[in-house]
This record gives sequence, C-alpha cells and structure tokens, in this order.
Amino acid sequence: MKDLEQRLRIGELSHLTRRHFLSKCTTGMGAMWLSSLGDNAFGAGAKLVKDAARPFAPDAPHLPGKAKRVIYLHMAGAPSQHELFDYKPELKKLDGQDCPKEFLEGKQFAFIQGVPKMLGPQFKFKQHGQSGAWISDRLPHLATVADELCFIKSMHTDQFNHGPAQLLVHTGTSIPGGPSIGSWATYGLGTDNQNLPGFIVLTSGGKNPDAGKSVWGSGYLPSVYQGVQCRSQGEPVLYLKNPDGVSRDMRRRSLDTLDRINRRIAEETGDPETVTRIAQYEMAFRMQMSATDAFDLKQEDGATHAMYGTEPGKESFANNCLLARRLAERGVRYIQLFDWGWDSHGAGANEALNAGFIDRCKAIDKPITALINDLKRRGMLEDTLIVWGGEFGRTPMRENRGGVEMALIGRDHNPGAFTVWMAGGGVKAGTSYGETDPIGYEAIKDKVSVHDLHATMLHLLGFDHEKLTYPFQGVNQRLSNITKTGTKVVKGAVA
Amino acid sequence: MSWKRFIGAALASGVFSSASNADEIRFNRDVRPIFTKHCTACHGGVKEAGGISFVFRDRLLVDGESGNIPVVPGKPEKSEMIRRVKSKDPDEIMPQPKHGPPLSSAEIAILEKWIAEGAEWEEHWAFMPPLETQVAGLKNESWPSSTLDRHVLSKIEGSGLTPTPEAAPREWLRRVSFDLTGLPPTLEELAEVESAWKTDPAAARARAVDKLLASPAYGERWAAVWLDLARYADTFGFEKDPHRDIWPWRDWIIRALNADMPYDQFSVEQLAGDLLPGATPDQILATAFHRNTQTNSEGGTDDEEFRVAAVIDRVSTVWTTWQATTFGCVQCHDHPYDPIAHDEFYEFVDFFNQSEDSDLTNEFPKLRLAGDEFVALERDTRALREQLNADGRAISDAAWKPLGNLVLTPQFGTLTIDSTGLIVSEGTLRRGVTHKVNASAEPFDALRISIHPVSDDPKNWPEMGVMVTDFKMEKISPDGSRQPIPIAEIFADYLAGPSDPMSAFAGQPDGKKFEGFSGPGGKGGGGVGFGEYPRLTGPRQFVLLPAHRVELSPEDRIEISLSQGANANESQGTYLHKFRVETASDTRYPLLLRDPARAAKWQSVIANIERMATMQSTEVPVMRDRAPNARRDTRVFARGNRLTKEHSVKADVPELLKKGYLGREAANRLDMARWLVSGENPLTARVMVNRLWGEMFGIGIVESAEDFGTSGIPPSNLPLLDHLALRFQNDHKWSIKAVLREIALSSTYRQASAASPEIVSKDPKNQLLARGPRNRLTAEMVRDQALAVGGLLSRKMFGPSVFPQQPDGIWNSVYSGAVWIESPGEDKFRRAVYTYMKRTSGFPGQLTFDAPSRDLCSARRLISNTPLQALVTMNDPAHIEAAVALAARMTAHSGEIHAQITHAFLTCTQRIPDELTISDLESLFQDLSRETYVKDAKLGPNPALTLTANTILNLDASLTK
Repeated sequence: MKDLEQRLRIGELSHLTRRHFLSKCTTGMGAMWLSSLGDNAFGAGAKLVKDAARPFAPDAPHLPGKAKRVIYLHMAGAPSQHELFDYKPELKKLDGQDCPKEFLEGKQFAFIQGVPKMLGPQFKFKQHGQSGAWISDRLPHLATVADELCFIKSMHTDQFNHGPAQLLVHTGTSIPGGPSIGSWATYGLGTDNQNLPGFIVLTSGGKNPDAGKSVWGSGYLPSVYQGVQCRSQGEPVLYLKNPDGVSRDMRRRSLDTLDRINRRIAEETGDPETVTRIAQYEMAFRMQMSATDAFDLKQEDGATHAMYGTEPGKESFANNCLLARRLAERGVRYIQLFDWGWDSHGAGANEALNAGFIDRCKAIDKPITALINDLKRRGMLEDTLIVWGGEFGRTPMRENRGGVEMALIGRDHNPGAFTVWMAGGGVKAGTSYGETDPIGYEAIKDKVSVHDLHATMLHLLGFDHEKLTYPFQGVNQRLSNITKTGTKVVKGAVA
Repeated sequence: MSWKRFIGAALASGVFSSASNADEIRFNRDVRPIFTKHCTACHGGVKEAGGISFVFRDRLLVDGESGNIPVVPGKPEKSEMIRRVKSKDPDEIMPQPKHGPPLSSAEIAILEKWIAEGAEWEEHWAFMPPLETQVAGLKNESWPSSTLDRHVLSKIEGSGLTPTPEAAPREWLRRVSFDLTGLPPTLEELAEVESAWKTDPAAARARAVDKLLASPAYGERWAAVWLDLARYADTFGFEKDPHRDIWPWRDWIIRALNADMPYDQFSVEQLAGDLLPGATPDQILATAFHRNTQTNSEGGTDDEEFRVAAVIDRVSTVWTTWQATTFGCVQCHDHPYDPIAHDEFYEFVDFFNQSEDSDLTNEFPKLRLAGDEFVALERDTRALREQLNADGRAISDAAWKPLGNLVLTPQFGTLTIDSTGLIVSEGTLRRGVTHKVNASAEPFDALRISIHPVSDDPKNWPEMGVMVTDFKMEKISPDGSRQPIPIAEIFADYLAGPSDPMSAFAGQPDGKKFEGFSGPGGKGGGGVGFGEYPRLTGPRQFVLLPAHRVELSPEDRIEISLSQGANANESQGTYLHKFRVETASDTRYPLLLRDPARAAKWQSVIANIERMATMQSTEVPVMRDRAPNARRDTRVFARGNRLTKEHSVKADVPELLKKGYLGREAANRLDMARWLVSGENPLTARVMVNRLWGEMFGIGIVESAEDFGTSGIPPSNLPLLDHLALRFQNDHKWSIKAVLREIALSSTYRQASAASPEIVSKDPKNQLLARGPRNRLTAEMVRDQALAVGGLLSRKMFGPSVFPQQPDGIWNSVYSGAVWIESPGEDKFRRAVYTYMKRTSGFPGQLTFDAPSRDLCSARRLISNTPLQALVTMNDPAHIEAAVALAARMTAHSGEIHAQITHAFLTCTQRIPDELTISDLESLFQDLSRETYVKDAKLGPNPALTLTANTILNLDASLTK
C-alpha cells in the first residue's frame, strides 16, 4: 500500500520533463508519447516526451516567451479589410467602374463572374491614437485602444474557400488532419490548470466554423490535445453535470468507493494505468467544480457586464469574450473564439456590407475593447497574446454572382490580402506592418503568409517553429508546414 | 578498447539489436543508425548536400562534388567520409558544428571497420523478405504451446525474466471475448467455459475461441479497426459536410470479416474489385474503400484541387494500410530515409489518377445496389456505347472543311476569330450562355466541333471544364425561313465523365430519345452535354451526324447554337473559350446511320437505360477507371505543388519493393493490388499480423504500426514478426481468423496480467510479454459493454448508420440542414460501429475515448487518460440509462443487495468481488438510499441502485480487458 501511495504521489506531484530520454522513463506511469525537438526523428536533438497520464503537465518552451497564453478571435466567413482597417482612398475613386482586365487575369473567384465593378470603402475612416491607426467608424470602441494593437495588413493565403482557408489558418494545411495551433500550444506547453481543459473553444453566431471541428482538432498529435468546445449555455463542458438528482456530495461518495476498490485493483494487478485512472476520476471531480465556476458569469459585477455588454445565459460573442478573460485568469493555455457570420457577399441581408455586417461589427466592438482593457487592468495583457482575424480577405470588386448586379452590397473572397491584428504578449503595440496595393487587392510590401503568422505566434510563446515538431508520415511535421519554404517570424510585429 | 565494447556503446545508446556475433559489423544494426543519427538530415532524400546521400548505396560510393569518394570499400583511409568525421578543422568536420556534435570515437571505429570489411550494404529489415528462424536452447521447453510462444519466450529468457503464470479462465475469457468480439462474456458463457476447463482446459479454450470467432459480433469488432484505416464516415467532410450513403461498404467489411475472406482477396477486392474480370456488385462495392476520401461541396471550391487531394490521400492510405511505409513525404522530394525516389510517388499516383471520380457533389461514379442484373446492364451498355462510338472513330481520314463567311453572335462577352481560325470567347459570361455561329457551308454529312484549352502547354492542363449542354442547328434559307437540322448521333474522341455526349440533343424537336443519356446531377452536375466535365484535360473532338445529309445551296446558311449550362466548382460556368467548327462530305457517315446492326445496338442501349431507370436503389460511390483511351496524363509535381507540373510518368511500383510485380505496359490498380498480396512483398503480411498482434496485446511488435521504415520504431522481436507473417501468408493462406485463433490460444496471451513490480518496471509497455496484456477498452467497447450488461444492446446488424442519444447543439454545421434525430426503438442501442459518423462533428463519446476523426487514415489509436472520459462514463445520459438497465437486472436477479452487487460486479468484470469490495459498494448503496430523489430524475425506479450500478461500470476493472 505504501508503494501505491508513493506512486500516486509521484503521479500527482511530479511529471517527466520534456528533455528526458525515453530510456530514463522507468517510473511505470503509463504510456509515453514520444516526439522530437531535434532535427529529425533520430536526430541529435532532445526528445519531447509527454506522459499520457499527465499530458497537460506544464512544460517550459525552448526559449522564454513573453506570451503565456493565447486568445484567438476568429471572425469566421472573413471580414472585409476594406470596411475596417485597410483604408484605400484610391479605391473610393474607382467605385462603380468596370474592373480593369489585368486585375482578373489568372484569378480564380468563388462567385465573381466575368468583369465585375469596383467597390469603394463603404464606411468612413479616421486615424486614431498616437499610432495614427486607420480604423473605420464601424469600430468606435476599438479605436480607443488603437495604440495597443499591431496590425498586419499584408496577410495573404493560398486558399479562397472558407473550409480550406480556415483549416490553413488554424492547422497550417488546407486538408483536414493537421493539428490546430491550440493543440500544438498545449502539446508544447501543457497547461497551468489541470482542472480545466487546456485548449477551450467557444463559438457564437449560431454556427460552428465552416471547416467544422477539424479547425480545433489534434490531427496527428495525440487526440488528447484536441480543443474542447465549451458552451456558454447549458453545461459548459459536455457531460460536466452530474445526472439530475445527484448532488456533489453523493458523487463524492461514489468516487470514494471507486477509489477504494480501484486502489485494491492497482495493488493486485500492478497496472500503472489503474493508478492513472484513479487520478483521472479525481481530476474530473475537480473539473466539475472549476469549470462550473469558470463559466459562471453571474459572478461578475454590473460594471464588468456593462463594459463587455454581456448578458449571462445568452450565447453571444460578448459573453465569450468575458469567458475568455475568466479562463485566461484560470490558467487555460489556448482560448479559441469563433464568431460566425462575416461572409459578406451581399447575397443575403444577414451578411451584406450594408446590412448584417454592421450588426456583426456592433456585436464585437465593445466586448473586444473591454477584453483588452480588462486584461490590461489586471496586468495580464503583457503575457496574453490576442489575435484577431479571418481566413482571407475580400475583393475590392463588388460581387456579381451569376454575372448580374445584386440587390445588396458585398464582396467576394480574396486570398491576396487581408488584415490580422495582434495585441498583448510580446507584440509591438501601436504599429502597422506590411502594405497592400492602392486598392487593397494584393499584399505588396512585407508580405506575411499564414505560416509566418504561425511562426510568429509560436515565437511569442517561446518556440522555434522549426523545432516544435511531431513525427508523422515519415516527416517531423510542424505547424508552420514542412512543405512551405521561407517561413519566417514577423520580427516587425515583435516588441 | 575491444570491438565488443565499441558495439556495446552503440547498443547502450538505444540502438535496437538482436543478439548475434558482436565481432561482425552489420550494416543495419551498427552502421545505419549512425547514418540516420548524424548524416541523413543533410545527406538524405530531402537534401543531398554535396551530392551525397546516405540513403541510397549508389549515391555514397560515387564521387562527391568535392571530387573525393565518400566510401571506398576496403579502404577506410581513402574514404572521404572517414577523413571528414575525424577532421579537427571546423570547416571540414562532419557533421558541421552548427548541425550537430561530432561522432564518438566508437562510432568512427564502427564506420572504419565497416569500410575495411568491404562496406557491405544491407537494405532496411522491413524491405527484405521475412525469414523463419528456429528457436533453440530455451530453458523452459514446457511453456510454449506454439512456435510463436518459443519466439516470445526466447526474448523473455534473454532478459532474465520468466513468464507470468496462466490467467484464471475468467480473466482469459474476458480478455479474449473483448479482443475477438468487442463484447464481454455473459455469465452463462463464463460458467460453460469454467466447467469445461475442469476436464480439458485446452479443449475448453479452443471451443470458446471457435465460438467467439464464429459469432457475428466478431466482424463488428474488427470492422472498427479497418474503418479507422479506411477513414470511413457517413459524410463528405469539409464545409457543408453532407450525408454520404457508404454504409453498405461498412457492411461489406463486416460480412467479409465474418466470412473470414482471405486477406489477399479482401485486399484485392477493396483495392481494385471493379477491375476484376466480370466483377460482381459486391466486388465493385468493396472499392468504396477508396471513396471514403473527402469531397468538397463548398461553393466555389476547385474540383480539380480536391480531386487531386483525394487521389493523393488514396496513395498515402494504401501505403499506410498495406505497407506501413510513409509515402506521403515522397510527394515533394525523395524519401528522407528510405530509398524511394520522388518520381516513384507519381508513378504510383498514376494507378489512382485514372479513376473517374472528380470531387463532384453527386459523387459520380456510383454503384446502384440493385443486384447483379443492374451491374450487368450497366456493363453491357458501356460496352455497346464504346463499340458504337468506335465506329465513328474508325473514320480517321475524312476531309474536314472550315465553315465560310462566319457571323458570330455572342449572348454575353465577345466572340472573335483568331489567326488560326479558332473561335474565341471572352468577357463576362453567365451560366446558360449561348454562342451562335452563323455561316455558309457546302453540303455535308458530318459536323466536327473541336474544343481547345486556352493554354497550349500541357503542363497547364487540365483547365476549367467545357460543356455544351444544349446543341441546336438550323438551316436558314435566303428568304429567312429556318428549318431545324436534327442530330442523330455524336462520336467522341473518347467517352469519359458523368455525361454521355448524346445528352446534348435533348432540346431538339425529336429530343425525347436523348433524355435517357443524362448522367447524374443533370446540367448543373455535368450530366448533360458534350465536352469534358468538370475539367478539360486537353483538346477534345466531337463529330456530330445530322439525321440526313445537309443539302445547302450557296445562298443558304446554317446556324449553330451552343448553350453552356453546366457549373463546375459548384459555382463557376464551364464555357467554350476556344473552338473550331468544320464540316465533311463523306458517305461513310450516313452509312453508319443506316447500318441495321448498329441500329440494333442502339435499341439495346435504349432498352437497357429504360430498364435501369426502373431499378431504383441506394447508390454508393465506388471506383471506376476511365477507358484506356481516356487516361489522364499524370505528371510529377515540382516540390509537390500540383500547379507546377513537370514530366509525365506511367503507373509503376517503386524499385525497392518491385518483387512480385508483374508490370504490364498499361498497368492498372489491379496489377498493383496483386503485387501487394503476391506473397513476395516483404511488408504486406508483416504489417497485417503486426496490426492483429497490436490489437490483441495493446502494442504492436513494431510499435509504430504506421511506419515500418527507417524512421519508425524497430521491431521488438523481428523473428516473431517474421514467423507470424510467413505463417499468415503460407500456412494459414491469409486467414485472419486463423492467426487470431493461434494468438488467443498461445501461452503468451494466456498469461495473467498481474505482474511483479520487477517486470512492470523493466518492461513498462509490456513488449517482452512476460505478462498477459491488460488494456483499456476501446471507445466502441466502453459503450457496447455498458449497453450489453444492462441487456439494452441491440444485436441487429447492418444498414444505415444510427443516431443514439447525443446532447443537443452538437451539430451546428453551416449551410447544412442536417439534424441529429435520435433513432427510435432498438436502433438507439445498436453497437457503436453503427453510430452515425459526421466528419466535422464526431460522436462525442467516441472522440473522447481516442477514436480518430476519420479525416485521414489512422493506423493506431494513441490511448489517453483524461478527466473528460470519466465525465462521459459517469454522466452521459446514455451511460445513466445503461446503469438503470443494469440496476433492473440486479433487482431481477435477487432481492438482496449483497447478491445484487455480486451479480453486477461479476457481469461487468467477470471477477468475483471480495467481501471488502462488496461491503464498500453495499455501504455506498445504503448511503445513497437515504437520499431523497426527485420523481422525474432519470435514475429509474431505484435511484440508489442505479448509482451503485453506475459506480460499478466506472471501476477500473470494468473499463479494462
């Protein structure tokens, strides 16, 4: 029995650190997953060994990173840079004219046919803050924190459809099956709170992202690193609640019984997995408490609710922003928000630039601003990396689906240019990096690929994107996509 | 220092080795690991710095760029490699300091000795044929009950351990029941085995195993393993992720496994059943294996991009499933560690690049499950159409003349004539656009329409498809009167794709007879018209025969209307951009129209089509190759990018593994499939027995079941793996059940799992097998057991996937009206293998227990332990429902709590609970009985008993096998 106690304690208190070699792992604490931080699967570098019994035990990155956690705000559907951040007076002048032929040659569009008309920015722009950031009048609150933001105006991608492009943004490949950024982050860093999932996903807008759950999948990493979708209504984590009629105290008594019997089985069989299972049930019991607590927005005061525009019990982006702060405070490593409804083709009122888009802007403006201010007030902005963006940009041309002028105003998908902004953890605040051409169609100066963005995010978390790898299909795979060359950290965005 | 010590050092550094004469340098054991550790990252398949590769022998024994030969056999002092690894000069030493530490003196000594002994090269073990070795000198000759046990025991004894005593019948029966059928044994089954065991244990075990193997549950359990490899799901994947009817293929797998279809046949039918002579509907259905790839139906997605992605996924899946070789990386460059060249990837791609499917939303081509007759009719119709089309193609020397005095009327955009006489269309077109060509012509019998790609460079092909969905021709007399000229027949340079070119004429006054030629999806899905859909693979030619010779006076004109109503990529028109129209006066054409034998063939075709239209049934996507004259041109992608193509290649298998391949000039998937199971392929049998072993023991002999290559984990017992592989393919004639039977009855498998701390710490993963396996139940087993012990589990087999209980709000796909509607009646309680699998939103209970999302081929599940699993089995309403059912059984069994608990514990674990355990559970029950429960809680008539049952179901002993 003493031996078992000891092993249980080992399981609780210690874990194997990343640079252990497999050969040293003889503590018998269950299965190990092996990866490498070196040059190749057998290379000279140290191996990254994760303990399947404690897959989320906190680990240190390669280098000290400024960012300890990430809050990623993805506007699913791809918001228009022309209406928010990438101000182009030239485009205004071209409004209503036929698109010149050279803009169309060799291009593939999702819906535009033949020769569309140019479409000027639909809203007024002004410069804000010391940094003089251009922000349109659709985001008046965000404009007040302009100096916290680092805009990357020269983002580009090679995918122009939502599903593949979202996959590219979150997994580095457009085909389902790659691990998402959050999986890599929790694989590399573990998480600081074992009683909550390390990688949490929150959605709003009534739909999941286009590419479905693959965008928070763990791909070829162990499936334990997949994102856990939590809900702001009902139970936050699936099956978190005890069955109706079962109190916490009753559950405790069941678990005590389980524990006693399982300990005897562990003694009898000597199976280290049984030891793991005992710990796992205790962790589940604690998670029931801590997740319920973390998701209880009623604990927040009226001023906070007013600042975020939150209403407890509702599914909204605002609630998710406040939840993101609560989860960040509790040590969750990666918090992924998806807000659906940004696909402004002009094919329907719920998404058109002159209709639904305006409502979406309203829905995000206040809560994002509150999140930044709130984190700053709590001293957490400096080690929390916030990323905002979509999966591609939109065309400077007005969409003409089926070759005809549409009743509402919209733009088609454009992989050539889009805007992402970052804030917080290690980011150079109050800057704008990269430029697009005079009509915001193509990134032309200091171009940043999705892979560059990944390399930069990993850099801010303390990882060399070429060294955080996992062997799969004969290659040490990585988030920054081994098949892409020239991927680099965007130094201009790093403080 | 002696050689023994040098090699000892190499072994201590973690290099795998089998015991052998330590004085002899063996390439695979001693040298290759040094190369892999220090050299191949720069001098491998990806980078060949200095023109040197340590992967291919012939790239090492040649001159390097420095002019010095890296390895001169027999002469270490003349070998550049030795000079460089020993160099003290930081510019010369290898590896260069920035790339890694220098080699140890022991490693250098090994390399020198290897070269001195002649630099003998050995291929990696997995690429050499398996060898049977005899095991002699065992200490405990009485322990083994089969040859496989001898191999295991040799390893156990070599590590200074002894096997664990045999498990009690109840422990063994639980293990073997789950392993073979995925279900726990019933108490009756247990009693039967225990009683038979008393008189003749061996016979009792054999009878039990035979019964399990004969159970229909066997196929359901093992299908789950195959479905992970095949990335089976009930939906397309990607954005809309709509429903796909492919469950009949899942049923095919269950049936084939239950019938113990030999693995060679099982493989050939799935890989290329459609190409077998006289393929039956079942053999065609088997090829849906390949159609489990994802189809992207999102508006605007490039059909060619996702067609190619599916083809490449098929290649990777075949290599992972049958060869455990990482082939995907060869898409971009030579294999980094194994001698497989970049071009060889595309040669293999060519086997799959010929299939008709092209990421269409209608998933063409499909098999209609309407029996043998339907397949016969379809085959007959296709053969007749090929014959009829060939008649026209046989006329190769008609004198074609251009039209005269062209007047072109574009409906949208512009129509112009270029310097070569091609008609060119440009501008904003809309779906349904009609190009009108008005011209003078001499009297003619045939009209030829040539469709040209926009680019003249084949490397830029294929281009967006071109479909003339509606064709009309009129004669215009000088007075302006118009007279339709009906088309009677069309000949294509070849027939391929979803539509029959005959369908372009349904809009003619006599068009009704052409309607039956429409393919799946109609106009929007490319099922109507002539041209090529969804992509134009190169120039195409079509010869149209008017019903009668067209007599024209010099003042008469003809007008041709070409309408283009099809959409590819779900949103983009398929327009004629460059084309040419010519006429010919040639009496051979009208003769064809009046040939009675041909007329009879046409009648058969039409009768067949009409008969088939009456035979409606479920349709399943399957493989069908394009006709030999319609082959796609397969080109090497520069650095794996499909948009930059290089030279063309022809279907072939890699040189490294060519043995057993009977390549032909026009080799196809069937040649490839037969090569895999030829018996001469060194991997096929090894990979499969390793998979079976891994399922039975929790870890494969090669732990990296997905990678047997140089970058994988070496086998823990190669002689055992080879013995099993040879026995599987030779003695057992590829019978899977025979292998499993032998494993289940072996002394190795029969050991008790409880082991001494010494054994556990010496061998935490149980690779030496000095104890019996003890593993967590799989996702499917966790659910099936919970339902089975309460008597809820439905044993209904086959059919469309079912929708068991799932919390609301899990399915929230965009642009999809799909909703999860709980199945009624027993369908709610079917085995997990029948649960509906939506790719973008998997069943939570499955995913939480490490089941893959089925996006890509998955060769093994990495088992995790997370609190989320505990939440599922404690709180999921489906598990509570199972506990209510178990409580009801407890009540039915006895009125006494003591007996009730004993019964439930036995049912869930097959273990006899000790008094302490019973009293723990009893006091829990008494405790919970004092609570008051709300009436409408779903805890059944006796909530305290339900919660006690739920606790028993959550015991470690209940969740492991």
